[in-house]
Amino acid sequence: MSKPVSSRINSQSGEVIDRTKPINFTWNGQPLTAYEGDTIVSALMASGVQVISRSFKYHRPRGVLSASYVDPNCSVTVSDEPNVRGAHRRLREGDDVRAQNAWPSLKLDVRAVNQLVGRFLGPGFYYKTFIKPQFLWPSYQKVLSRFAPGGSPPAPGGGHGNFDKRYTHPDVLVAGAGPAGIAAAIEAARAGVKVMLVEEEYEIGGHLRYGGPEALAALAALRAEVNSYHNIEVLTDSVVTGRYDDNWVAVVQRSGVWSHERLIKARVGTLVVAPGLIERPYVFAGNDLPGVMLSTAAMRLLELHAVRPGTRAVILTANTSGDEAVERLRSAGVEIALVIDARTGVTLRRAIGRGRLKAVECADGTKIPADLLITATGWTAPTSLLNMAGDRPIWDPVAARFFPSELIPPSVMATGGIVGDGTIDQLIKHGRAVGAEAAARATGATPTPVPPLTREAHPALFHGPTTGFLDFSEDVKSKDIMAAVKEGYDSAELAKRFTTSGMGTSQGKLENVNAMAILAEATGRDLESTGTTIWRPPYAPISLGALAGRAFDPVRISPMQPWHVEHGAVPLIAGQWIRPEHYGDPSAEAQNVRTHVGIIDVTPLGKIDLQGPDVVKLLNLVYTNNWDNLQIGSVRYGVMCAEDGVVMDDGVTARLGTNHYLMTTTSSGAATVWETLEMWLQTSHPDWSVNVTPVTTAMASINIAGPNSRELLGRLTDIDLSPEAFGYMKVRTGSIAGVPDCVVWRIGFTGELSYEIHVPASFGLHVWETLLSVGADLGVSPFGVEAQRILRLEKGHLIVGQDTDGLTKAYEAGLGPLVKLGKDDFSGLPELRWQESLAGAHSQLVAIETTDPQLVPPEASQLVVGMAEIVGRITSSRMSPTLKRSIALARVSGELSVPGSRLTIVLPNGSRAEAVVRENLSFIDPEGVRLHG
Amino acid sequence: MILIDCPYCGPRNSTEFRHAGEAGKKRDVTTNDPAVWRRYLYQQDNPLGWVRENWFHTAGCRQFLCAERNTQTNEFRWVAPAGSPGPDGASDNGSAR
Amino acid sequence: MSHAESVASIKEPGGAQARRRRSRGPARYSALDIFRRGVTNSDWPRSFRQHDLAKSYDVVIIGAGVHGLACAYYLAANHGITNVAVLDKSYMGGGGSGRNTAIIRSNYLTPEGVRFYDRSVVLYQNLAADLNYNVMFSQRGHLTLAHTDASLRTMNWRAEVNKLQGINSSVIDAAEVGRIVKYLDVSDRPRYPILGALYHPPGGIIRHDAVNWGYARAADHLGVQIHQQTEVLGIETAGGKVTGVRTNRGAISAPIVVNCTAGWATTISDMVDVKMPLITHPLQAAVTEPVKVFLPTVIVSGSLHVYVSQTDRGELVFGASVDPYPSYSMRGSLEFTESVASHILELIPSIGSLKVLRQWAGLCDMTPDYSPIMGVTPVDGFLVDVGWGTYGFKAGPVSGEAMAALIATGRVPEIISAFDLARFADGRLVGEKGAASVGH
Repeated sequence: MSKPVSSRINSQSGEVIDRTKPINFTWNGQPLTAYEGDTIVSALMASGVQVISRSFKYHRPRGVLSASYVDPNCSVTVSDEPNVRGAHRRLREGDDVRAQNAWPSLKLDVRAVNQLVGRFLGPGFYYKTFIKPQFLWPSYQKVLSRFAPGGSPPAPGGGHGNFDKRYTHPDVLVAGAGPAGIAAAIEAARAGVKVMLVEEEYEIGGHLRYGGPEALAALAALRAEVNSYHNIEVLTDSVVTGRYDDNWVAVVQRSGVWSHERLIKARVGTLVVAPGLIERPYVFAGNDLPGVMLSTAAMRLLELHAVRPGTRAVILTANTSGDEAVERLRSAGVEIALVIDARTGVTLRRAIGRGRLKAVECADGTKIPADLLITATGWTAPTSLLNMAGDRPIWDPVAARFFPSELIPPSVMATGGIVGDGTIDQLIKHGRAVGAEAAARATGATPTPVPPLTREAHPALFHGPTTGFLDFSEDVKSKDIMAAVKEGYDSAELAKRFTTSGMGTSQGKLENVNAMAILAEATGRDLESTGTTIWRPPYAPISLGALAGRAFDPVRISPMQPWHVEHGAVPLIAGQWIRPEHYGDPSAEAQNVRTHVGIIDVTPLGKIDLQGPDVVKLLNLVYTNNWDNLQIGSVRYGVMCAEDGVVMDDGVTARLGTNHYLMTTTSSGAATVWETLEMWLQTSHPDWSVNVTPVTTAMASINIAGPNSRELLGRLTDIDLSPEAFGYMKVRTGSIAGVPDCVVWRIGFTGELSYEIHVPASFGLHVWETLLSVGADLGVSPFGVEAQRILRLEKGHLIVGQDTDGLTKAYEAGLGPLVKLGKDDFSGLPELRWQESLAGAHSQLVAIETTDPQLVPPEASQLVVGMAEIVGRITSSRMSPTLKRSIALARVSGELSVPGSRLTIVLPNGSRAEAVVRENLSFIDPEGVRLHG
Repeated sequence: MILIDCPYCGPRNSTEFRHAGEAGKKRDVTTNDPAVWRRYLYQQDNPLGWVRENWFHTAGCRQFLCAERNTQTNEFRWVAPAGSPGPDGASDNGSAR
Repeated sequence: MSHAESVASIKEPGGAQARRRRSRGPARYSALDIFRRGVTNSDWPRSFRQHDLAKSYDVVIIGAGVHGLACAYYLAANHGITNVAVLDKSYMGGGGSGRNTAIIRSNYLTPEGVRFYDRSVVLYQNLAADLNYNVMFSQRGHLTLAHTDASLRTMNWRAEVNKLQGINSSVIDAAEVGRIVKYLDVSDRPRYPILGALYHPPGGIIRHDAVNWGYARAADHLGVQIHQQTEVLGIETAGGKVTGVRTNRGAISAPIVVNCTAGWATTISDMVDVKMPLITHPLQAAVTEPVKVFLPTVIVSGSLHVYVSQTDRGELVFGASVDPYPSYSMRGSLEFTESVASHILELIPSIGSLKVLRQWAGLCDMTPDYSPIMGVTPVDGFLVDVGWGTYGFKAGPVSGEAMAALIATGRVPEIISAFDLARFADGRLVGEKGAASVGH
């Protein structure tokens, strides 16, 4: 193979490459050079590389089509980043660029054999085959999945990368910095408002950048004006990807020193949509050959990158863009073989070549040798952002493109090519008018319409006399649409789904209008009534990293957590909290509580301070039991049900003073309970006077449990702990370890004599360490959540959310005695009243003992009758270190819940075991001697 | 992202709020008719268009709000403290729930 | 029951087999036929015919999604009832049936749920052959990740219930999860490390459009009429019985009208004043650019509110829980893609450079107990197959089969008896609510 010849030409006045700064990169491992400012594709073209990729389905060689971000043929892999838009991404020194979707190589792709069977691979091919025999389909499917297009995903093990986010509140945000967009930004800035101007390319200017001397002069003037306003922020290589409710606008900044991509979230006063127009490809046989490209692609390559796209050209033109391309190519030294003026009704028949354009066949059959075919046959208005604001564009047959409807809210405006045509001056003038109006609207002025741009007539050209590619990224041909219609997929949406046209990487930006036109023809309708497909967000692809940003996920820890970590605690992730599961041997920790004394960090317990004359009313409303007679200095356990009678939380509440209570909740329920209290107070009883203050993290909480707990706490406090002075279910305040204002209550989740202390959080670690140091002789040691679970199970105390589920009502959880149906009102009252009347019919929480005392049936093991009729399940189970046998709680249907019932357990391994329902939920100390001691 | 004009805090992103259900539901705790109570529990008007509903400003003032929103467009036309009489002056029988 | 009277008014035109033999069969799809047509360049015939709206039908089905189309197909195929119209205000399969993420599974929490969805899996397994249309069902396995003790407990619960129902479902540990999906981060680095997963090998994904079109094509060839762009404007009743519907194309009389809509279930039911406990939320989804296939199974994380699978075309398809407030807006939100992306990168940290190409939304009618509402209503002849939340697509075949049986026999099939509308007033909620907020 001969060495490719450089296509770089002399300096162009608008070129963006810096010839003093060469860049080295590799293409499929081959070293090449380029200049700073080159895109990957301009660098490849400059080095004589024409084939950039292989197509999705037929693996046809593909080259430059639009030379812009949406170019469907220019996706490459750069290092480990797949699907990089090579016609947009600028090269960096040392880039390792590789072709995608080609195996074993771009030159020799064995899957190109698909072209030979292309006539069989029509739309819906997969739906019609591999149906029988059924058992072979999984094998077929595995083979098919190897044909997936795109690059390879970055290998596992890599990190998430550096991504960031930013929030901003511009009064006017202009999407697109062509002449109209720039003018809009300038005029809005002149009105004194904060403006953001966002441009997808690396410089502002839009088509002015490659529009010749007059355009460059106009651009220079606009640039100077932009620079004179400090209140315009210009973002280049950035794109507005979405407009969401209430002008919440997403901007992606693609390159920056700080990160790969940055998502900017902007709450915008007025959004000005000025994306310009996208040149529409023309459909004919061979239209995907490398060497066939759009007029704007040729001009970008020539003017911005000084790359000659070919040596001998045929141009099919229907507009000034094509006419200009002829002049530009000629002055760049390209031989103009033929200009076909489509405005006269002439067209071409096909492009001829094998992997590369060789000749163009004219309508009359003449074959003109050429290595470059330029088409300039029309424009597509990228109305995506307007669609997201509610617009449904309308086809204008005279201008041959879609225009926005009147359905846009006043906070969104449009200018430039998307709304009309004109000279540079006319576009700028319209942009200025829109900018001024946008600023006025952003500052609250009544919307006034801006006189529209005029529309120029343009021939409606979609395809030639031959069939060709419609969607380059999906390899959909025009005849596929015709076939789909014949099969009954004859609406825009069905045809699109059936052929997958518009579903690929360019998301219909290049192909939708052609698809619609061909569909209209096939169905004998006009384009207006064929409708439009609404472009879904995002307007341009956004990386997952940019969307994710940094992971901000709060972690809650107690003031004692560093101590736990230092002492070998195994962490337990409990919602937002991280707390010790155990310190090595949970069984020993539990036993120590039964024999000596243990301390556990229960800071995550929800704590809510309630003050005011009407607290009792609130407690009576949210809890099922009665709170009228709770004395100062006493605590009481309560169960909270939702309005459907389902148990939602439980906990102990203490009365500290006449109008002062401290409520505790489950750790996971704290936020919900707080909101529930506010809900009742604000929406049903605004006349009640209660102040609700969450104090969970203001206090460190420690439970001291075990026969020696009184002795231990007694060494550190001025509170009289004698049983006579401080009985079970009482609360006292005092100082502990020198810390004043501590709250102590005597309760017993573990079934042992225990004191729960709540101390100001900043003294939590001090109190914790002091308890351990003064109690060494009493055998004090810390215990974790696992030991607590064992202890509470031995005592038969339930855990809401484990022994109950999303539908468990109070009576089913054995909480019936706590439901006071005689109260006037409480949450869930009617449901519980009816449930009580069904006593015995519903399932029950029971304690069970397995016949084999050494067998611990895993939690979730099912209880069955017969082969597989489910009648309940194990909700909690452990080996009891105290009883040296297996203990469990289970939910079981009413008739089987009576003490002595024999149950059949199905273990996860399928084997079965027997168990008996116990008399009492408590496995140890059912009389509560230890607790009350 | 819809913007909710909190009467206490001013306009804030909807992610600061929690939707708290349709407003104006009748709670009759004395009823003996399960169907009546369960209509209160489960039944929603779920209209396509304007709806009176409650929001809770979770990450703001922690106040319950009453609002009228169009479920088709997510446009708000009225936001007020919970229990406020409607924009038409009609009271919600004193209950915002 | 009086519904039986409505049924009796349908003329029984002969057994299903007889009917099928009489009908001119559709063009058979096969590799051989593709070859023949490729060589001769001949066109395929229309899959769906167009009809004028008739004055009356035996059954009118509102909604040409998978539920409505399957119901029509099984009415014709299993019961020989072919004088059926399926009406859709837009195009067929354009609602939830064309917007879902096409995940199929049967590892539910309750026995009634498991039995029901398992029947659907069985029907899906045979659907390609039944309909002569490859629905591309890929039973690649389904992993529901657990990141907390509580979710691991729920996974165990589901696994045990599943096993007793004969469903292939078990809890595996993090290391095993890592062996199945090499790209998942199973280390303890993430904020919520993967502790294990519920592994359901028969679960997988399907080509949703193919299912819709396959049913439509097969129903069409059995004589069912599918009317697209036909919007129901009202439902006529007389003496508490349905008599017909009014559409934008004219009135139709029919003794039986079935509400098979999602998103518009409330609107349609309001036409006959049947109140249902529905609340409509958008459910969003997104898809990335294609990359070579690297994700072998469907992955769901309830704790992180995200699920993902990779299509044979290489795209990653993401979803999450329903939007946090009710709405009929399908415009989608940025916060959805933001949260999905951050959660997916917690699971698969190396794919930060993959780009989201498109996002969309569908509408889900949520019920209080995460289970559908199927069967009869207080209005005679007005049947419902609604309230499908986020799990409607996977239930399409079994729902169609059961609703068709209900229409044909006048008896509620046992398999859907737990899903009746009356259960809410009676306080007999189905226990799926315990399973997970992300029901995929």
